[in-house]
Amino acid sequence: MKPAPFDYYAPATISEACQLLSEASGGATVIAGGQTLMPLLNLRMSQPFILVDINNTAEMKGISAVDGGIRIGPATRQYEVLESELLVERLPLLVEAVRHVGHHQTRNRGTVGGSIALGEPAAELPACAVALGATIDIASVRGTRQVPASEFYLGPFMTVLEPDELVTGITFPAWPAGHLPLFSELAQRPGDFALVGVVGALALEAGKISRAGIAWMAMGPTPLKATAAEQLLLGKSLAEIDPQAVAEAAVAETAPFDDKRTSAEYRRTVGARLLARALRELTAQGEAA
Amino acid sequence: MTNMNAPEEKSAGILTGKYIGQRVHRKEDPRLLTGHGQFVDDVSVPGQLHVAFTRSPVARASIVSISSDYAREVPGVHAIYTQQDLADFNVDMISFFLASPDVKTTPLADGRVAYVGEPVVMVIADSRAIAEDAASLVEVEYAEETPLITIDDARHGAPVHPGREDNIAAQMGEEEIDEDLEALLQAAPHLVTHKVVHQRISQSPMETRGVLADPEGPKELTLYITCQSPHMVERWTSLALGKPDMAIRVIAKDVGGGFGLKNHPWKEEVAVILAALKFRRPLKWIEDRYENLIGANQAREQEMTLQVALDNDGKLLASHGDYSCNNGAFPQLSECNIAVHMFVWGAYKMPAYGFLTRGWYTNTVGYAAYRGPWAMESLVRETALDVAARRLGIDPIEIRRKNLVTLSEQPTESCMQIPLEDVTPAECLEKLLGYFDVDAFRREQAEAREQGRYLGLGIAAYIEPTGSAGAIATMTGELAQVRIEPTGKVTATMSTHSQGHGTQTTMAQIFADRLGVSYEDVSVFEGDSSRGGFSPGAAGSRQGVIAGGAAILAADKLAEKVRTLAAHLLQVEAAAIAIDAGQISVAGNPDKSISLGELANIAYGEPDRLPPGMESGLEAQHRYQPPPMTFASAANACVVEVDRDTGFVKIQRWISSEDCGTPLNPAVVEGQVSGGLAQAIGMVLLEEVGFDERGNPTAATYKDYMMPAISDIPTFEFVHANTPSQSVGGMRGVGEGGAIIGAPTLVNAIADALAPFGEVEVNLPLTPAKLLSVMEGRDLTPPKVVAPVAVEPVAPAPVAEPVPAADATPAGPVVIDGDWKMILSTPMGPQEMQGHFETSGDNLSGYLSSPEGQMEFTGSVVNGNNLVFDLKVTKPMKITLKYNLLIDGDKISGKCKMGIFGSAKLTGERL
Repeated sequence: MKPAPFDYYAPATISEACQLLSEASGGATVIAGGQTLMPLLNLRMSQPFILVDINNTAEMKGISAVDGGIRIGPATRQYEVLESELLVERLPLLVEAVRHVGHHQTRNRGTVGGSIALGEPAAELPACAVALGATIDIASVRGTRQVPASEFYLGPFMTVLEPDELVTGITFPAWPAGHLPLFSELAQRPGDFALVGVVGALALEAGKISRAGIAWMAMGPTPLKATAAEQLLLGKSLAEIDPQAVAEAAVAETAPFDDKRTSAEYRRTVGARLLARALRELTAQGEAA
Repeated sequence: MTNMNAPEEKSAGILTGKYIGQRVHRKEDPRLLTGHGQFVDDVSVPGQLHVAFTRSPVARASIVSISSDYAREVPGVHAIYTQQDLADFNVDMISFFLASPDVKTTPLADGRVAYVGEPVVMVIADSRAIAEDAASLVEVEYAEETPLITIDDARHGAPVHPGREDNIAAQMGEEEIDEDLEALLQAAPHLVTHKVVHQRISQSPMETRGVLADPEGPKELTLYITCQSPHMVERWTSLALGKPDMAIRVIAKDVGGGFGLKNHPWKEEVAVILAALKFRRPLKWIEDRYENLIGANQAREQEMTLQVALDNDGKLLASHGDYSCNNGAFPQLSECNIAVHMFVWGAYKMPAYGFLTRGWYTNTVGYAAYRGPWAMESLVRETALDVAARRLGIDPIEIRRKNLVTLSEQPTESCMQIPLEDVTPAECLEKLLGYFDVDAFRREQAEAREQGRYLGLGIAAYIEPTGSAGAIATMTGELAQVRIEPTGKVTATMSTHSQGHGTQTTMAQIFADRLGVSYEDVSVFEGDSSRGGFSPGAAGSRQGVIAGGAAILAADKLAEKVRTLAAHLLQVEAAAIAIDAGQISVAGNPDKSISLGELANIAYGEPDRLPPGMESGLEAQHRYQPPPMTFASAANACVVEVDRDTGFVKIQRWISSEDCGTPLNPAVVEGQVSGGLAQAIGMVLLEEVGFDERGNPTAATYKDYMMPAISDIPTFEFVHANTPSQSVGGMRGVGEGGAIIGAPTLVNAIADALAPFGEVEVNLPLTPAKLLSVMEGRDLTPPKVVAPVAVEPVAPAPVAEPVPAADATPAGPVVIDGDWKMILSTPMGPQEMQGHFETSGDNLSGYLSSPEGQMEFTGSVVNGNNLVFDLKVTKPMKITLKYNLLIDGDKISGKCKMGIFGSAKLTGERL
């Protein structure tokens, strides 16, 4: 053991977990897969007084069809997404996205909720939640609330979660059968967080786009929904899409940053190309079909 | 150099055998692959305590106060030490070459800190966690100063080390370009000036540094330490501690990579060793990854500008190189990398070359070696040749064909007077071109460009001195000790050490073949200083070459004894004896045979049956002293596609054509080359240790320090272009070649792909943003770090003592005669020597003496206070040392011109 000292609890239920978080008055951290937290604890970059381990909390696990969509328990391992026939059929974007989350080894432990709650702006799953219009289910001793993913993120590694609150589920709305996923990410090494990336889904009704959800990774302090681009897509057939115009509209809504790895201008330039490229591929698919 | 030490035997060609040259399974793998390797942290001894360090959060400051009051109260804390507590040991932090450091270097900070992460205080506690709890409660007050971070900062800033004149850690060569050379450069039809900036690299071994120091009473010390040679660590520790009467045993069974970082202990390891001796308990410290990325010494961070003059046909005419290296604050050796210059044109027909090479002190963690420490020579040369080829409109292959020294032109000498007898880069290149269809690629490249896809081909060639021995104290021969046990099994102990090199395997292959036993019956032991004998271990691509030769010679001695004994017992001629698969047989006499086990039983247990005078037992050893250097050569080719939209590089193919002489085990050879190439890919595309303007590391975890992963590495193709070397067995070293030739090969491929857009600045790593910037013609890279802002006035630079000008005439009469203590700043570190001068009128004679011996000179001339004399030396190679010294009272200073090594500074005083 190398971390700073902490008290350890492994509650069996959500209400017990909430009780612990409430009593900790902000001194607790929730651990699920630990793929981000364990290194931070060992390097003492994170030093909570209390560690609430939700791996024994059965209610926090599993992928299930619910009224009007699919609910994923936050303690569900990332690899389970890859093996879920339900998701492969109904939300193929999530399956594609998880392939880019870390590596085999980290996906065996890492959880969906961990990635969602961490709030890394360059991560795949938060962007998917925003693009697909997911709702984050939150509980505390004070009650429960549902927050749209697009309002869940406040900044890098910052969310609306209060210190006593726990993510208890991620609920994705139903998308029409046969909708088209869109995923394009540039990471310096496979499995890394995105240098820049875009995810989305397009639903067609009678050959026209009836529903569009697009969100950026690493193009601002949070995953960003490309609302103007979505508007440009609605009502068009795949053949009518102007990939360049959509991409430019989508980039116009972003606020990328310079960091050690690359510049904001690189992110804007390449982000637009990634989205345009992905849309052209969809268009080609449309023509082939 | 070749006449310095005649090799004991000449190679007979490429060796092959039942095992030698075969891809036998590695003896190390069963234990490593089932989790039974033994690394430092796997070892525990009764009563051990744990260590954690309080490290400096600032890059440059004086320490105002240290308070451990709160830390001491943490339950489980046993002791808290600062440098004051360790000062009695007066440890000498010597270099790999056993030279004392140029700047006072202590295990813990001594009143000042000079880099972020410098260990200041150490805590000894029941567990690592408790030690860290307490370390975080140590309060240190710092008076911060403006740090110098970059080489450019060092050129202009106040000295990092108070009392020094400047930040030059080491310097070789001439500050002014020689007039004749300058004339050649300027008169040439083409002059290419090419600059390479290499980022700082973390050696980043999978097993971080770590030590378990176990003092067994006042006179014995056992160290479990991850290192590149237990023998080297034992020697270093004994000398550094000044404890010749202490029995030191160093054990490192398995090592998770060294790469140059683990040649010998440094600050933290030494602090743990001293603290264990002082506290008289076993102490363990295992570096965590954060500590490794900020506090372990680092490598590269070099800049080099190479001028290359060519004629219209691309023939080389003259060249000049200017090299700088960031040595950090406390380098493991004051590095100015003379090897960069010795080998920059080593295999090319370059008529004239001059250089200046400097290492700079900065407020960053110190320099240590990294696989292929002089790799810059190949990077700057091979990329400059491609720039020249593009400018002259010549094919990059042609420019190499025109200038490389071919085998048929040897023996000859390089422009740095290095004898070349059997280097084969030109032959490696031809073999590569026989395998890879360049014309087909160029057609594919042209077609792709029409579609807006940018493919590139990079070709590079190089030579590298490997298996160096005999010229430097620590670069010795290697020892093999082998015995046939009474059971008939073979046991060997070696001076080698594996960091994954597979020496247990390759040496066993040799013993099995040479002794006529099966590979399974051979066990090789290393990794413990109480076994085998001294060698620097995994350093300088030497083990296959030298230890391989030692294993052959030791085995041959033992086989000879077996034959003599067998002939005696079976009453036949020794020449008729054959040994195979552990069975001794007699040619033409199938009835007479004896197993090796039966023979061994007699050799050990029935001395009466031995021939008169024969020593009982079946044991032999040999320390092999090879030729001073054995050159390895290679040519590589790599094909990339650079994505026009994103600047991402995809490596499509990579072909290595290398001459490693006898490949003891081709799989081990390919593993060595592949690992080196993977490191090169990391250097060119991904890895970078960075600092902000205050000297804070910006890549302190593996999220930011991007190592290449398996997904970033292509499947390498191998074309072995082997020719036997002159060492016994014919091996050549392959430990570092991949890391050296990989970088220019990949850079050249990227530059070739982007040639339609312009030249690519070689400023590593070549990130997607940099490459996209070239293709877009606009800057898409993130803003550079801004110049440091002074938070407090810089400590005034200490006033340097005036250096006597050449024509200065001292006021009083000059007293020359007598003894002088003098220090010469050589590329191997400062060399202390005593000078004795006698004058008779204007005639000067005398001698210089050092631990290496005494060299006399006569017939020189004194001119006032100016002494000019020459000394001829044969080590490390035949050169004439030209001294030009000035005496000012009781001080002496000046220069020594050391042939190809350029000039070195000398300072001293009267004894």
